[in-house]
Amino acid sequence: SVTKIRSSFTTIKANIQARDSIRTLSILSHPHSLHKVKVGRCCITRQLFNFYVDKVFKHCKTEDSFVNRKISSIANSFLSVKRKLEQCHEQNKCLCGQESDEKFKQILANYEGLNVTSAAIKSLGELDILLDWIEKS
Amino acid sequence: GDALLPAPQNISILSTNMKHFLTWSPVIVQGETVRYTVEFQGEYEREYANESWIPICECSLITATMCNVTEDISATVAYNLRVRADVGARRSEWGTLKGFFNRITTSLTPPLMKVIADGYHLLVELEDMGPAFQFCVLYWKKGQESRMQQKVVKQVSSVVHLDTMEAGSDYCVKAQAYVEAINRSSSFSQTQCVRVQGGTSMWL
Repeated sequence: SVTKIRSSFTTIKANIQARDSIRTLSILSHPHSLHKVKVGRCCITRQLFNFYVDKVFKHCKTEDSFVNRKISSIANSFLSVKRKLEQCHEQNKCLCGQESDEKFKQILANYEGLNVTSAAIKSLGELDILLDWIEKS
Repeated sequence: GDALLPAPQNISILSTNMKHFLTWSPVIVQGETVRYTVEFQGEYEREYANESWIPICECSLITATMCNVTEDISATVAYNLRVRADVGARRSEWGTLKGFFNRITTSLTPPLMKVIADGYHLLVELEDMGPAFQFCVLYWKKGQESRMQQKVVKQVSSVVHLDTMEAGSDYCVKAQAYVEAINRSSSFSQTQCVRVQGGTSMWL
């Protein structure tokens, strides 16, 4: 699934990032990058997939039909992975800790610091940061 | 006259080897060209995006009664699909696929396969079934089925080297396709055997 998500994202990355006018801020990397997280990786992954499904994709509709189809592809793939992560969580295999909770709170704070459309487009534009981090873990 | 245009009927999905086609019966209007438009809706759209529908531009106002939806059915979730007809300014209601479609139900066929004895080397050529496919190849010396060996082929290159053969022995091969995205395999292909005899291959 991550491969399919990345290939869909790659085709619209430039289009989405061009819509992000706020260059001085990051949702996923401010103040510290995801890459600094050592423990609770599964928990953060689950929280971030929930975050993208619940909060981000619905606010990313564009006037471009091709872009909308790719966003749908990514969103439905995220939903499929989210379901699997929820099963892990229910089997106590994806437990959270203080570090992961604080990291996710920081990401939410970054997101809620912008108006919803800007925050959603910026989050979508940063998808490769998340995918890189997932593939490295 | 301006009778209401009937919605397309008999809407169904033909899905084989992770290629998915929506088909429907033509709407007949004497002396007129009927055009069709297709939209899809994933589980995400139903549950998180106000049940919105997404148009497929390659299947917008087409005259064919088939649409390749492979590119848009790109996650292992339940999809809804619909199609409507247009004739001039007249437009039908949407006809919707009965029940959802999930690509996990695609039918998988065994891969086409060609076994080659190149001198003492046992090689196999596999059909390129697309990026979603991997293959499990089983091979054994005839009569020694219990010592069957397996090779997983993640990407179809031109030819796969399986083994170095002993002269005068028959070697047999069969293969199945595997799709990781839906965690399903095809049935095995027919078994093919070859023999090495003094460096020249012989089909059996």
